[in-house]
Amino acid sequence: MRRWASLQPDNFATGNKLKEKTIRYTLGVGALLAPIFVVLMLAHICQQAWPAISEIGFGLLDPAGRWQPLSVNPAYSLLPALAGTLYVSLLAVLLSVPLGLGCALFLHFYTGKRLAAAMMLLVDLLAGVPSVIFGFLGLMVIVRGFETGFSMTAGECVLAAAVLLAIMLLPYVVSTCGESIADARARWLPAAASLGSSKEYCIRKVILPGIRPGVLSSALTAFGRALGETMAVMMVIGNSAVYPKLFGRAQTIAGLTALEVGSAEYGSLHLSAIYAANLILLLLLGVVWLMARLIKKRMEG
Amino acid sequence: MRMKKGFALLLAGTMMLSATACSNAPDSSSSLGENSVESSVQPEVSSSVNNEVSSQILFNGSSTLAPVITAIALEFNETYTTWDAVDPSLPNENIAIYVSSGGSGQGAKARIENTTDFGMLAREVKDSERESIPDCREYLVGIDALTLAIHPDNPIVSLHESLSTEEIVKIFSGEYATWQDLDPSLPAEEIIVVTRDIGGGAHEVFQNKIMGDVDVKPEAIQAPSMGALVTRIAENPYAIGYASFGVANQNTGSIVMLQVDGIEPTVENIQNGSYIIQRPLVLLGSGDPTPVEQAFLEVVLGERGQAIIEEMGFIAAR
Repeated sequence: MRRWASLQPDNFATGNKLKEKTIRYTLGVGALLAPIFVVLMLAHICQQAWPAISEIGFGLLDPAGRWQPLSVNPAYSLLPALAGTLYVSLLAVLLSVPLGLGCALFLHFYTGKRLAAAMMLLVDLLAGVPSVIFGFLGLMVIVRGFETGFSMTAGECVLAAAVLLAIMLLPYVVSTCGESIADARARWLPAAASLGSSKEYCIRKVILPGIRPGVLSSALTAFGRALGETMAVMMVIGNSAVYPKLFGRAQTIAGLTALEVGSAEYGSLHLSAIYAANLILLLLLGVVWLMARLIKKRMEG
Repeated sequence: MRMKKGFALLLAGTMMLSATACSNAPDSSSSLGENSVESSVQPEVSSSVNNEVSSQILFNGSSTLAPVITAIALEFNETYTTWDAVDPSLPNENIAIYVSSGGSGQGAKARIENTTDFGMLAREVKDSERESIPDCREYLVGIDALTLAIHPDNPIVSLHESLSTEEIVKIFSGEYATWQDLDPSLPAEEIIVVTRDIGGGAHEVFQNKIMGDVDVKPEAIQAPSMGALVTRIAENPYAIGYASFGVANQNTGSIVMLQVDGIEPTVENIQNGSYIIQRPLVLLGSGDPTPVEQAFLEVVLGERGQAIIEEMGFIAAR
């Protein structure tokens, strides 16, 4: 960006004034639209969530509460779904980061350029698979596998969702870790190699410590993605409004929203509480995203 | 790089600020104001409804009935295009049928407030609603029924052909945790209860007709669609759930339908009302229909409309 910032308009020869102005303002409008949408969206979510926040208040985060908005004794606790969201996402990141990091290291140190490119292509392809297909495979393979393998009565569970989600996160982890590795390699490998260290020693003592912030930032980005994944998780986690257990069913905020937003009555506290749930999710995403940015910035600086 | 980062951080900061600012600003007018729904969904409605020569028909209400009316209207439109093609006495104008969905409650409300021609309801019409509509007319379009479905390998198949309402309530509320609780000869496996989303129309029927005030246990699996629900039951010998009549009949063999209080879910039993897990699909009008409305109603209630209703998994009214 510094390159762009230094290109002040004064440095250019002036041409057709009207044409330039048109271009400048068109670009300006385009540039403004995206942030405006973000702000409008947030304002809308806040506005719609407000009735729930003011009327239910801390009931939204009542640890003993349940989510049963349509019961005769309605309760709107988002905590079980929030816990489910965090549990599944965390577990998925813990599963996918070691795998993804290993894959990236292998591609950078143990394969030829051509094979690495071919494998990377396949990994990237994984990122393009629609999540409903992942969900379907998860239901047919993972959930079924759990039922026979662990003789569970119903295979829908947090672990099944986390395994599926970990596979979905792999391409992101591999490509972001890969970037850090390429960076570290260019910076330190020649020196390490000239000191006569073995490849394994170099990976362990030079590359891995060097890319630590990059891996952390990659994990956070993956975590952010996991928080919002809806369809695939919804198909394998069971969507039960209870606190998550590793081998028990659970519900995520994204899943809850997709299930209920279509039928929630307009203007009801139910709909407003769904908005509140997503406000929490958005704030959470904002925090995660900020942390990832800060770590990356520190790493580069 | 610095500049962009700085800007991004600033933006994130404003995002957070605006979030808190919004949540601090109490607003009672827009978010809970019920009137905003209809005006935003159908801005042109109120001006046109009382228009005598209107050649358009407006439907508003149930999201269960909306796709049905839309399907019939689409075919109607493709067949005739203009009203005079239906009947020469009708105006030579394009057929315009607008369907908007927003729930049965909204359908009744729109008819009471005269902002729609027909309210679409997927439940019985309440007396209070009947009284609020001048010369209220109800047209039974079809019936939506749910069947209790289990896996064919579930040993209960040979033991109980029928479950009583109390047994169903105990199963779905979690009072019976395992199949053994229902019958000592059954395995001590968890009863996997599969439901649709608790806010949806299907669950509403089940809640009203069977559960009453009792809540379904939170451990129940919520399936995102009727198809997913049936798939889940077809794969799990210990699952039970309510499948819509249409979907269940497309899957006979992979699931088994149980009787409720000794009554089998057949078209006949549903139509005569003895099978209880059902709800009517009703169009709510006011006064005699206009000739244009009459022409469309005849198709909806006639052979073609009823065939479409059956195709979509519901039971014809007659």
